[in-house]
Amino acid sequence: MRHNFIDRYSSLDSPLHTLESRTKLLAFAILIVGVLSIPTDAEAIFFSYLFAAAVLMGISQIPLGYIMKRMVVLLPFIMLAAVAAPWKGYAGFGALAVRAVLCLILLILLTNTTRFAELLCGLRRFGFPQIVVINLGFLYRYLFVLMEEAMRMKQARDCRRVGRAPLTEELRILSSMLGTLLIRSFERAERMHSAMLSRGYSGDFPVVAPRRFSWHDIVFLAGTSAFVGATIWAR
Amino acid sequence: MHIPDGFLTTRVALSLDVISAAGILFAARRARIDLSDRIIPLMGVLGAFVFAAQMLNFPVAGGTSGHLIGGSLLAILLGPMAGFLTMATVVIAQALFLQDGGLIALGANIFNIGAITCFSGYAVFRLFKGKSGRDNRLAVAGFLAGWFSSVISSAFCALQLGLSGAVPLQIGLAAIPGYHMIVGVIEGALTAGVLGFLSRVRPDLLDTNGAGRFRGADWAGALVFIGMPAVILVLAGSSSLPDPMEKLLIASQSHVAEESALSGIDFLISGTIFTLVIVTGFLLAFIWRRRSRP
Repeated sequence: MRHNFIDRYSSLDSPLHTLESRTKLLAFAILIVGVLSIPTDAEAIFFSYLFAAAVLMGISQIPLGYIMKRMVVLLPFIMLAAVAAPWKGYAGFGALAVRAVLCLILLILLTNTTRFAELLCGLRRFGFPQIVVINLGFLYRYLFVLMEEAMRMKQARDCRRVGRAPLTEELRILSSMLGTLLIRSFERAERMHSAMLSRGYSGDFPVVAPRRFSWHDIVFLAGTSAFVGATIWAR
Repeated sequence: MHIPDGFLTTRVALSLDVISAAGILFAARRARIDLSDRIIPLMGVLGAFVFAAQMLNFPVAGGTSGHLIGGSLLAILLGPMAGFLTMATVVIAQALFLQDGGLIALGANIFNIGAITCFSGYAVFRLFKGKSGRDNRLAVAGFLAGWFSSVISSAFCALQLGLSGAVPLQIGLAAIPGYHMIVGVIEGALTAGVLGFLSRVRPDLLDTNGAGRFRGADWAGALVFIGMPAVILVLAGSSSLPDPMEKLLIASQSHVAEESALSGIDFLISGTIFTLVIVTGFLLAFIWRRRSRP
């Protein structure tokens, strides 16, 4: 069962990893807005953003191959935009594709340089509703358990089924599987809740030793804002 | 469909961010009043369930594979408010874990995949289920809820992409919902199938009278919530509102692509090509996933 693909590189120790989570959320959001506002015909600005992304990729120490693999999620959308290219002009399509790739690189860097608990802590400090943050925490903790459950069920089905059944039969099998998974999730939630109550759960999760906001964060934020500001001004 | 960053203009994406944030805040406030303490871990675990359930895909003709979206199912099981909150967390988690959908486009994705599927699915389910609660009524209502929610949410997705100029509006509106009318059958069948299974095995779970009842005011709120973006999107896409972020926004090429040159046969052909390309994209992604599996 292989399911550590989710945040495999988030506990490395690069300069990007040690920044505070709020800094990274804010800085990457600014960078993405900057990428979205690059005009179609400004090659120099595209290259400066590509350069910046490459520098960040280098600093983050995340393997390049991993980032390339994650790019595949963009594929359907790139194809979708490619069809519209004849009407919009190929330059427009190229700009769209480069913009999307840049944004995806930035998002990959954000999520793979921040541990999830820290990210949640950052979201909470930004004023996200508590119920959403707690839910995300539960989701993260039980995701691996349920994924393993789902993978086991899938393996069991694939072992028992030779060849392919007609579609209606497949749908029937799959909906019973989903139903079983759902009931198990319900029951697990009930067990968890009573276990948590008996251990003194009061409706919130304490965060152990969050990172401090230091001068590194100020430098990083100032650097990214200055970069984005310069590219907008330079137009 | 999770929209990545770069396909929506800043104006469209940010206005949907604001709308989704407002929706989440409202639902969270309602949830704190309404939901019992017990349902909060339940929502988290069901979020993980949706995540895991989307891994249980099965082969459809032509090499593509189908899986559950789950919005309408959650709304039926938990009530629309809790369902919406759960789907919102799922969409956020998909963006953060899997980079499915972008950061600035998060609001749009929460709106399409969370709000639209939950509210429309729940409304259709309530409309068709009636009072009797017989098994076949349940199945029909579940099927229609899944199908409609899938088609309507894809229509909103197409609208947003069209107004951002990523695809011509007409083509998008023809092709993306058109494709989902076919794929939506699977969503409908799975929703109906799971509901049928639950009604045989654990009928108590389908009894949603306890948590998150929808009141008249909530129906009105949901309608406004869904209707408002349509208005705002049209405004955001077509007019030049003077605002302080003008310089930033103009730069994000907020002009809508000219779509008047298309009509009739052009329209059909481009729609078909468009659908084919989407199918090919899914096919490639599927092959890649097959090969990368251990």
